[in-house]
Amino acid sequence: MIDKFRAKFVEEGLDNVHDLEEAMLLLEKDPTDKEIIERIFRAMHTLKGGGAMFGFNDLSSFTHHLETVYDWVRNGKLNVTEDIISETFKAIDQIKYLLEVGDVSDESEKQELAQLTQRIKGFVSSTNEDNEAKKGADSKREEDLSASTMEASKTYLIHFKPHTNILQNGTNPLYLLDDVQALGKAFVLYNDENVPELNELNPEDCFVSWDIVLNTTEVLNEIQDVFIFVEDECDLNIVEIFNGDILSHPKFEQIIEQCELGKQKLTAELLKGISWGGDENASSSEKKKVLLKEHKISSIRVASTKIDELVNLVSELVTIQAQLHLYAETNREPKMLDLSESIEKLTRQLRDNAFEISLIPLQNDLMRFQRLVRDLSKELNKEIDFIIEGGDIELDKNIIEHLTDPLLHMIRNCVDHGIEMPEERIKKGKNPKGSVIFKAYYEGSNVIIKIIDDGMGMDPEVILNKAIKKGLVEEGLDLSKKEILDLVFSSGFTTKDVVTDLSGRGVGMDVVNRKIGEIRGEVSIDSDLDKGTTVTLVLPLTLSIIDGLLVSVASGQYVIPISAIEKIIPLEDNDRKSIFNGVIKLGEEHFPVIDLHDIFNEVCGDEKQHIIQVKFEDKRYGLIVDRVIGEYQTVVKPLGRMIKDQEVISGASIMGDGTISMVIDTNRLIHAFGNQKIHK
Amino acid sequence: MAKTVLIVDDSESIREVVNFTLENEGYDVLVGVDGEDALQFLDGRNIDIIITDLHMPNLDGLGLIRKVREIDAYKHIPILFLTTESQAAKKMEAKQAGATGWIIKPFVSAKLLSAISRVLR
Repeated sequence: MIDKFRAKFVEEGLDNVHDLEEAMLLLEKDPTDKEIIERIFRAMHTLKGGGAMFGFNDLSSFTHHLETVYDWVRNGKLNVTEDIISETFKAIDQIKYLLEVGDVSDESEKQELAQLTQRIKGFVSSTNEDNEAKKGADSKREEDLSASTMEASKTYLIHFKPHTNILQNGTNPLYLLDDVQALGKAFVLYNDENVPELNELNPEDCFVSWDIVLNTTEVLNEIQDVFIFVEDECDLNIVEIFNGDILSHPKFEQIIEQCELGKQKLTAELLKGISWGGDENASSSEKKKVLLKEHKISSIRVASTKIDELVNLVSELVTIQAQLHLYAETNREPKMLDLSESIEKLTRQLRDNAFEISLIPLQNDLMRFQRLVRDLSKELNKEIDFIIEGGDIELDKNIIEHLTDPLLHMIRNCVDHGIEMPEERIKKGKNPKGSVIFKAYYEGSNVIIKIIDDGMGMDPEVILNKAIKKGLVEEGLDLSKKEILDLVFSSGFTTKDVVTDLSGRGVGMDVVNRKIGEIRGEVSIDSDLDKGTTVTLVLPLTLSIIDGLLVSVASGQYVIPISAIEKIIPLEDNDRKSIFNGVIKLGEEHFPVIDLHDIFNEVCGDEKQHIIQVKFEDKRYGLIVDRVIGEYQTVVKPLGRMIKDQEVISGASIMGDGTISMVIDTNRLIHAFGNQKIHK
Repeated sequence: MAKTVLIVDDSESIREVVNFTLENEGYDVLVGVDGEDALQFLDGRNIDIIITDLHMPNLDGLGLIRKVREIDAYKHIPILFLTTESQAAKKMEAKQAGATGWIIKPFVSAKLLSAISRVLR
């Protein structure tokens, strides 16, 4: 049964870790904030308690030590030091790991854990703690012992006199008597001599006391356990009076009779005088524990390869479905068309579902970034606020996988090169505390990620000179600021002369650009000297299947992603003549057009042409094509090794009839050709 | 009639495991996420026992216990608190606040049920 909750606990534990990390980052800013310390303590407490309950023993005992440190901090016995904070961060990583793997089994990992534990224990004076832990271990051993050894039956005399106020804590003493009786054979004698007259009796007080003679196979501890909640609210005295059972002894009955009449007080001595002729044989009962295991699972973890496979299969299905549709249409079989349509609908749902499964929120990565900024700024003695917006945005896991390294690199760049030292910032009249903003949001079927810093920015002149020196660009060209900034993406470009420990590890912006390109994303950069730099990533939501518009250009078929398309305009001959310098005037609107016939080296036929109006950054562009064939679920297959480096095609798709159409990457197309005067 | 238990804990997994165990045993279960949240249930309705965590945001377990003991209708109902600390100090504090007993985490369902049956029939 507990299995069912284990997964839940891990989920919740990770949330706690997340919360812990966040709180730690806050604590670092203000190590005296009581509320934050309380929050940290609580998160640790939950991890510890839950950990033990759900079988994460290493986690629980490790967190216990950590919790002790913060308990001391909470009680003012210990001040938060840098050391404590750094070790806590390490500990948080450890906790995260323990949540993932459960208990550690690897020797080296065990040692690592022990070392970290030792360091954490070092923060609180160790003597107290050790005793505590030892005591805990001892009592546990005792418990185990009591469970495994079978005791012979013994008879005890229990004197139980509750204090008058016992009822006020919600305790019912009669239940306790029941519990005692449940332990074995018992005889209960009550004593009401202290009960006042009815008119003086306060019903909220308790005046009765009891003497119980109990014959049981349980150990003394078990009897004491019954009274554990009321230890401090009663006089309790438990004496072992006999090794065996005397309850059915004739003499015992006699004594009881006397006592009930009030002639005698029931005392241990009195009862100890009783004895059987022979020794009582130990009776032992067998305890059996039946473990019932239930397997009810509410959420499951699946290997990511399985999801990849699912998405792959769905892609294949989409392709086959297109074939079916084509067959049905060419043969004009009404029944078949119906079926094909139903299957298409299902396929679409299946497709969407499969994708949803492979989406994961950016959030998971963001904590890493936060840590990175924190650790780096510490190392560099810079003060930086890292602000996150839109952490709940979800992306295909394959995209996120490709995204983490480039993002880490770019954020590292911001902290290392972007944000100036505090003194320098003051000189410039800026807030000594720099800020790095990480912003993510949806735009159409794209996700936009912006990394904005308010650091020193980039000097176009420096970049240009550098590029010329490196031979990346010819001297004397008249380049726009944007074109110059784009130079940082060329391979072999790095502006920092001294390679620092942090960013200069050979991964430059060119690699970032390439990596983002691999997932069909776009990187652009904007920067103002002394004001800051903004890096913008435009990413597709998913990689393998898109909704596309199938068009023809001369004899070839091409797919344009629907997400990019704003509208489709039939191109009249008159309008065609109005195209001047690559710009068309339609009504009041002017926008640049790119004739795909030129791009693909095709000759314009007599066919009626169309303009597909697409969005690029904030502007509109028109793409001139021939026929518009229709909407098409496109399974994008990567291009082969030989041709994958070309610019404007992001992949190929197999059509229902087995022919191949190219998928146009409009962003790159416009990027490559939009600024040139291609229209002859 | 089924007994009504009010569980108060800020950890969802604990709440769920307690809830599951008790509902299986035929209790009616009310759930509060912290002391403050739990107080809303104390509106005169029939509650037979309260089981509360000690460390919670807003109003913690001790605070909750004290508040409950101030309300006439609930003055004498059993209150158990969940705790990982086996230190006597904490137990004493809670007892003084008015708690009836405690359940030490981690617990298996049998332990939870026996603790309840110790104070509630």
